[in-house]
Amino acid sequence: MYKISKSTSYGKENSTIIRTSDGAGIPLDPANTDYQEYLEWVAAGNTPEEAD
Amino acid sequence: MSQLKVNAISDSAGANGNAITLATDGTCTASLTNPRSFRRINPNGAMNVAQRGTSDTSSDAFLIDRWKHLHGSADEAPTYSQHALTSSDTGPWEKGFRYSFHIQNGNQTSGAETNDYIQCETRIEAQDLAQSGWDYNSTSSYITLSFWVKSSVAQAFPFTLQTSDGTAYRYTFTTGSLSANTWTKVTKTIPGNSNLTIDNDNGIGLYIMFWPYMGTNWTGSVTENAWFGVSGNDYCNDITSTWWTTNDATFELTGIQLEVGDVVTDFEHRSYGDELQRCQRYYYRTANDGSTTNLLGLTTESSTKAAGGQPHPTRMRAVPTISFGSDIRFYSPATGTITFSLSQNRCGTSQLSAALTITGGTAGQSGSLFQNASSNGYIEVSSEL
Repeated sequence: MYKISKSTSYGKENSTIIRTSDGAGIPLDPANTDYQEYLEWVAAGNTPEEAD
Repeated sequence: MSQLKVNAISDSAGANGNAITLATDGTCTASLTNPRSFRRINPNGAMNVAQRGTSDTSSDAFLIDRWKHLHGSADEAPTYSQHALTSSDTGPWEKGFRYSFHIQNGNQTSGAETNDYIQCETRIEAQDLAQSGWDYNSTSSYITLSFWVKSSVAQAFPFTLQTSDGTAYRYTFTTGSLSANTWTKVTKTIPGNSNLTIDNDNGIGLYIMFWPYMGTNWTGSVTENAWFGVSGNDYCNDITSTWWTTNDATFELTGIQLEVGDVVTDFEHRSYGDELQRCQRYYYRTANDGSTTNLLGLTTESSTKAAGGQPHPTRMRAVPTISFGSDIRFYSPATGTITFSLSQNRCGTSQLSAALTITGGTAGQSGSLFQNASSNGYIEVSSEL
């Protein structure tokens, strides 16, 4: 399971994917294998939660 | 026995200087055209770096750096460990190896089933292979893989190389039948193939996979000792199931070296610090050996947010994932010692950077993440392949 965490820093909006099992923050980098797993999870029909 | 006594050796023309010049003290100087240093392409082949710990029973995980272990459909999970060798480990011990990747099988009470598997693998970054000097599209250009292996069960084991870019190709061969509980050095020279694609990038260039066992869902009829296009799940020919059906059977690997050329050279030992830094391109975890050690300085931006950054130990392969051990706390004068959650991963490949969600902060105050206890007081940063 994943959550999307969005916030504004230095006038720019940033998004981080939080893996709920361990709280890890996954960047939106196509070369990051955790992000690749997240994309596969979404492609399988899953939807991340919005962060609190 | 005859003895050749010369001062120098040159080519037949003798016009290009000496290939080897011999000194009177018994030493020589050689003009080598192939590199002798940094010839081992794969990091941590001696299994001496294990930042995450020394034992694990989970699947699809890393324990020893750069080595992933996986198993499926097991009745009892195997145990993977970084195993300390002793002088009784005849063979690798004399060659300077002090650790192995050790697998102890669980009790597979259902026997060998079609979907069972257990493997360990390392993944070579593509640009390191593309720029290695191996002309991978030429059948007359070679890479050589060598390693030490030991099994408590006498049988043969397959292993497989697999490319990742373009159409994936596999190359499989077997160790030959190993004697039980005896270290054996295995070497294999592998030619290039015109069908191989290896991109000059930071993705996966090559998998090196070892198989203590795979059920028939993962095996088939493949031609060994030749590259073949990936077709389904046929990684290798059927594997003898004796190891898998033996409770607590063990399988060990060390001294794994992938190098360019058709000559097996001695394993290239590197210092622990050198090997650690190479591994940290893919993963690092701050050490647990301090006491209330500050791991990251931050600035409180608001009552609910603090952010900070510092350089990674080395440039990472990709923008990394970050996580925190359960014994990390945030401290600032306004908040005191509190727990926190990660709000933003702001990392780049050169910089650890994060924003945290906190409570009770005062904007402008300094704060820090520190080890509240040693056991799980770490920051974990991963850009594994």
